[in-house]
Amino acid sequence: MLIRLAGAAFIFLITALGGLVPLILIIGRAKVARRLAIVLILAANTAGCLVAVFSFLQEPAPRLVLHWVTPFYFSLAADRLSAFFLLLVCAVAVPVTIFAVPYFDLHRSEQRRRWIWAFFSLFLFSMIVVVTASSGFAFLAGWELMTLVSAALILIEGDSPERRHNVFIYLLMMHVGAAAVAACFFLFLPYSHGLDFEAIRAAGASMPGGIRTMVFLSAFVGFGAKAGIIPLHLWLPRAHPIAPSPVSALMSGIMLKTAVYGFIRFAFDFLGGGPWWAGYVVLLVAAVTGLLGILYAIAEHDLKRLLAYSSIENIGIIFLGLGTSLIFLTHGAALGAALALIGALLHAFNHALFKSLLFLGAGTISTSTHSVDLNELGGLQRRMPFTGVAVLVGCCSIAGLPLFNGFISEWLIFRSFLAGSSLVGTKAQIILPLMVGILALIGGLAAACFVKTFGVAFLGRPRSARAERAEEAPFGMRVGMWLLGAGCVFIGILPGFVLRPLVSLVQVLVPGAGVPEETLSIARIIPWIAAIVIGTSAVAVLIKRRERITRTWACGLPELSSRMQYTSTVFSKPIRFIFAQVYRPDRKVERLPSDQPYFPVSVSYRSVRTTSYERALYRPFVESVVSLAHRLRRLQTGNIQVYLLYVFLALVSLLALLRFER
Amino acid sequence: MRIAADILQALILILGAPLVRGIIARLKSRLQRRRGASIWRPYGEILKLFRKENLVAPTSSAVFRLAPVLLFSSMVSVAAFVPVVHASALLRSGGDFFLFVYLLAFGRFFLSLGALDGGSAFGGMGASREALVSSLAEAPFLLSLAAVAILASRADIAGIVAWTLQQSVFNISAVHILAFTSLAMVTVAETGRMPVDNPTTHLELTMIHEGMVLEYSGPSLALIEWSSAIKLHSMLALLIALFCPWGMAYRVSVWQLLLALAVYCAKVTFLAILVSVIESSMAKLRMYLVPDFLGVASAVGALAVIFTALAKR
Repeated sequence: MLIRLAGAAFIFLITALGGLVPLILIIGRAKVARRLAIVLILAANTAGCLVAVFSFLQEPAPRLVLHWVTPFYFSLAADRLSAFFLLLVCAVAVPVTIFAVPYFDLHRSEQRRRWIWAFFSLFLFSMIVVVTASSGFAFLAGWELMTLVSAALILIEGDSPERRHNVFIYLLMMHVGAAAVAACFFLFLPYSHGLDFEAIRAAGASMPGGIRTMVFLSAFVGFGAKAGIIPLHLWLPRAHPIAPSPVSALMSGIMLKTAVYGFIRFAFDFLGGGPWWAGYVVLLVAAVTGLLGILYAIAEHDLKRLLAYSSIENIGIIFLGLGTSLIFLTHGAALGAALALIGALLHAFNHALFKSLLFLGAGTISTSTHSVDLNELGGLQRRMPFTGVAVLVGCCSIAGLPLFNGFISEWLIFRSFLAGSSLVGTKAQIILPLMVGILALIGGLAAACFVKTFGVAFLGRPRSARAERAEEAPFGMRVGMWLLGAGCVFIGILPGFVLRPLVSLVQVLVPGAGVPEETLSIARIIPWIAAIVIGTSAVAVLIKRRERITRTWACGLPELSSRMQYTSTVFSKPIRFIFAQVYRPDRKVERLPSDQPYFPVSVSYRSVRTTSYERALYRPFVESVVSLAHRLRRLQTGNIQVYLLYVFLALVSLLALLRFER
Repeated sequence: MRIAADILQALILILGAPLVRGIIARLKSRLQRRRGASIWRPYGEILKLFRKENLVAPTSSAVFRLAPVLLFSSMVSVAAFVPVVHASALLRSGGDFFLFVYLLAFGRFFLSLGALDGGSAFGGMGASREALVSSLAEAPFLLSLAAVAILASRADIAGIVAWTLQQSVFNISAVHILAFTSLAMVTVAETGRMPVDNPTTHLELTMIHEGMVLEYSGPSLALIEWSSAIKLHSMLALLIALFCPWGMAYRVSVWQLLLALAVYCAKVTFLAILVSVIESSMAKLRMYLVPDFLGVASAVGALAVIFTALAKR
């Protein structure tokens, strides 16, 4: 009975998002059609949550085999790993959709709204196909659709040359990544009788070591490009900020996680761990990603770009957990591998919640002030208190403060580093505990970054007339943000509810793992701390206090002005100064007139963060591709006879090839 | 009985905190050949502030009012983690030292937000500098704690203390010395003492912690002052518990606990003397030398962790 219900919900989810909603939006011209489509999106995602919860409760997993409709073997299934990511997609999609309803209504024509919603629905559909695919073809189709639809959602908001350039870089890097992902699948082909996940899993164990290493590396590169691993992150801070905010929320919150899913599927499920050095490589790359990601984030004053860089940092933290888990796997320590993997999975879920919350907050700020430049904001907490509280929850969570969800997952990863000291072999014993320091540094910088973000945007005095006139967001937008914030606080205070199903999921991926004791102890102690903190705060608040509103002492000046406050740029100056080697700022000071350097009429100062190492890395590659293209141009004569000759030669050589194959 | 002793410990840390400050201030003034105020002076100051009114800027939001409260409640929960008179604590679980460090960060996060909400230049200045110091202090803090935890092969503070109690005083390893050095340096940075920050400065341009609290007054300021006293006391108690716990009660009985309390008081007084000698004989570091100071602490902490692996063989 239950399985039929889950199957029906699964079919509804796929058909509604992938077919029904876009169809209604394209055919229906009335406003009612759009409303109906939105209701369908919400209903489908709720159904998706139910399917995911169901497959945690009971075996076998709901499965859709569609190869009688599609030309290739196309099937979807929600086993525990897929179900977890399905839950991640659907649980975040519901509040984002609620937020998007009033958001897309602002400043957009009816025609454009319909297109946005159609692509929005297809985007969700593609991500659901990716995380539930159980055949290689379904996975790759979803993967490609996801890239194209998200690019369309970015372009629908405008097509200035700069935007087109950024989308071009996005598409280019995604396709390089997609090629690597496709290679992962095709490398299995000689050893498995098809691209069904069951067959691949069976082949994974019996493949020769060299091929396994190649699969692992191309999975790391392919999924790493999608996840935004440094140095493959170039597209991320370009593509995420220019999308409309709900779409940025989906891209940062969910789309990056599909790459995490893919990596886990290959590295853990299909390969059962890579070569012995795999974990260390992942750990090293993840540490660089996390540190550089947060350092770039701190230096930003464009709120959406700051959030995009912080996504890179969080992907670094997730991969720190995955790398640790791989190291434990090669040492045969199932319990430690399970602990690190739980930390990584939970951080993926947490990041989906708080990063989409923060992107929605950025969207709210941009609709009510028409700016996302932190240096123009300020004082928003008094003008938009409901948005402010939600964004504060997001900032606390992403900074990894206790009582919020980010802490729980970071704590689990910390504990797995510490458990590394019990492994055999000095390498693991030294490297893993040292990672405590790296993650602590990332965490400390993240806290500094989000003190800056919230403090400069929401507190103090408004820094511009736009911020002065800001008004509270419409109800639907607030509801969307508060739902996500509630999720953050719930997991932060009562982590047991998510940790228990996660343990049962990880036990499937890491055979022979028990229940890590750490997951129980954190669930026991956190509610006590919450009780002490909330109880003490309540007592301290209830003590009656007299209060007088008075102007801040301005050292004798008549009034403080907002220009005397610290801006975002100044706030991060000490950290930028210390890490100047990372930023390599390119400074230009111009004094006018130039013949009087000591009595200038005007001085202009410009400081731009250069991305010198990115140039050093990408420039040779780009140049060689361009020069190759120039050389290939000689083949293109424009003469039709020559092209016919090419066709003829190709035909002859193919026939010859066929002959020799026999 | 056991629970009562645990609660007693937390209360000693919370209620005794202003006294530690008073002792340090008194010792410092003696070293500077002044008479100095009574060691009970900080209590009087906190009581006085509680009787006054809060002054709030018209541009400030609820965050400004709530920040001191959240800071105080996080410091109260921090105090519940540290063993003082016996090797147990009110809140203990595996990996609780991560919680200890992150609860300190919790308080700091909200205090920095409160500082930014004041709307003046000094709050932002203090918050920005605090962000620099604390983000760099977190790594050596956790590294040194992790080193001690690995050495004791236990992950909770009370468990580490119980293990150390069973060791001989003369059996101290290199890890202990390195971790202690690192943690002591972190304590200086975390609690805003010389040479990282000058707690008695009156010059706004050199302030870190004092800059953040400049706009606070009345009960809010009282809570902040009390919180930073608890922070200092808890950090000193943590140093004592991890590196010199001998003298703690082995069994929970009234006499043993009283004796342990007396020994603890002697140790805290010794640390207070050390702090006041350092503060009277050193100048504050230039702002941009603080990262070097913390860099040394991180390196020492990392060495401590590396030595744990080498010591095992």
